[in-house]
Amino acid sequence: MKLKIRNAETGGTVDMELEADNTVQEIIEGAASFWNKEEGAYVIRKGKKLLRGQQTVTEAGISDNDELELIPDPEGGA
Amino acid sequence: MDQKDSIRPGDLEEDRLERSRRIGWLDVDKIERSRCVVVGAGALGNELVKNLVLSGFRDILLIDMDHVVRSNLNRCVFFRDEDADVKAMKAEVVAKRAAELNPEARFGSHVGRVEELDWKTFKEYDLVFGCLDNVSARLHVNSHSYYAGVPFIDGGTDGFSGKVHVVLPPSTPCIQCSMNRSHFKVLEKRYSCTGADVVFHERKLAAEITTTSIIAAVQVREGLKVLSGQKERCIKNVMFYNGLLGTSEEYELAIDPSCPNHPDRS
Repeated sequence: MKLKIRNAETGGTVDMELEADNTVQEIIEGAASFWNKEEGAYVIRKGKKLLRGQQTVTEAGISDNDELELIPDPEGGA
Repeated sequence: MDQKDSIRPGDLEEDRLERSRRIGWLDVDKIERSRCVVVGAGALGNELVKNLVLSGFRDILLIDMDHVVRSNLNRCVFFRDEDADVKAMKAEVVAKRAAELNPEARFGSHVGRVEELDWKTFKEYDLVFGCLDNVSARLHVNSHSYYAGVPFIDGGTDGFSGKVHVVLPPSTPCIQCSMNRSHFKVLEKRYSCTGADVVFHERKLAAEITTTSIIAAVQVREGLKVLSGQKERCIKNVMFYNGLLGTSEEYELAIDPSCPNHPDRS
């Protein structure tokens, strides 16, 4: 299936092709790598829900042509 | 509040929390009686403690292992140049200066790593606020406060981005439920091993006061709701803030059945 990933920081998008057994973690890593975001933690949302990393595409209820958003998970505060 | 036998003109203006008491749902008396822990006395910790004391909190334990440096001074309301000169400990400085806001407030300070404290410490408090700068300490506070059954309100910032995660045991997902491999890669980098020793990598993140203020304010507001019996109005479960766009969004999270903090869900 094919879906769109949006970069929450820039608004930019990229299309990603996935199999049903790909995981949310793999989506995060693929998108973070595409946007050269190797450092730092990220989460992915679909609509109003944050997806768990270990979930597969099927388990997360991701469908063809869905749009997901990659959001940086800020860890600072000191 | 106790009913007084007599009143005098101007009495209202003698009550430091009179304007707060005008907010119908706010349980000011309970807030004044509550005990809370603030883990991290840096940027978020400074703003958060300021808001706590002004909101009526009177019993606060501060935990931080670090000392003040001059680069803290762009975002820490309680720190001064002289604190950096003498390398004063952050938790002690915040306790001392916050006491000036309300002399009736009591502050405890633990200068050391939060990992030195177990769940029994957290159990003695009504709320735990996370003002941390790393995944490892967050995981410790998360698991111990969850086990103790104490609400944990965690904040995080990076430049103009921020988030607040509200954890209300035993019903809501915890911080660990929201984490994935990218978080654990950050954790691994912090404790990388060279072969001879463990090297501690502290990633320097962008930080400024406006985002810090907003995130700390939201954390305290969520704490006020919890203590005032308004849990159903709390953030469910994570709020992300984008200061550049001026937006904030709440996202739901499900309990991870493999998360060790929810053994009954596995």
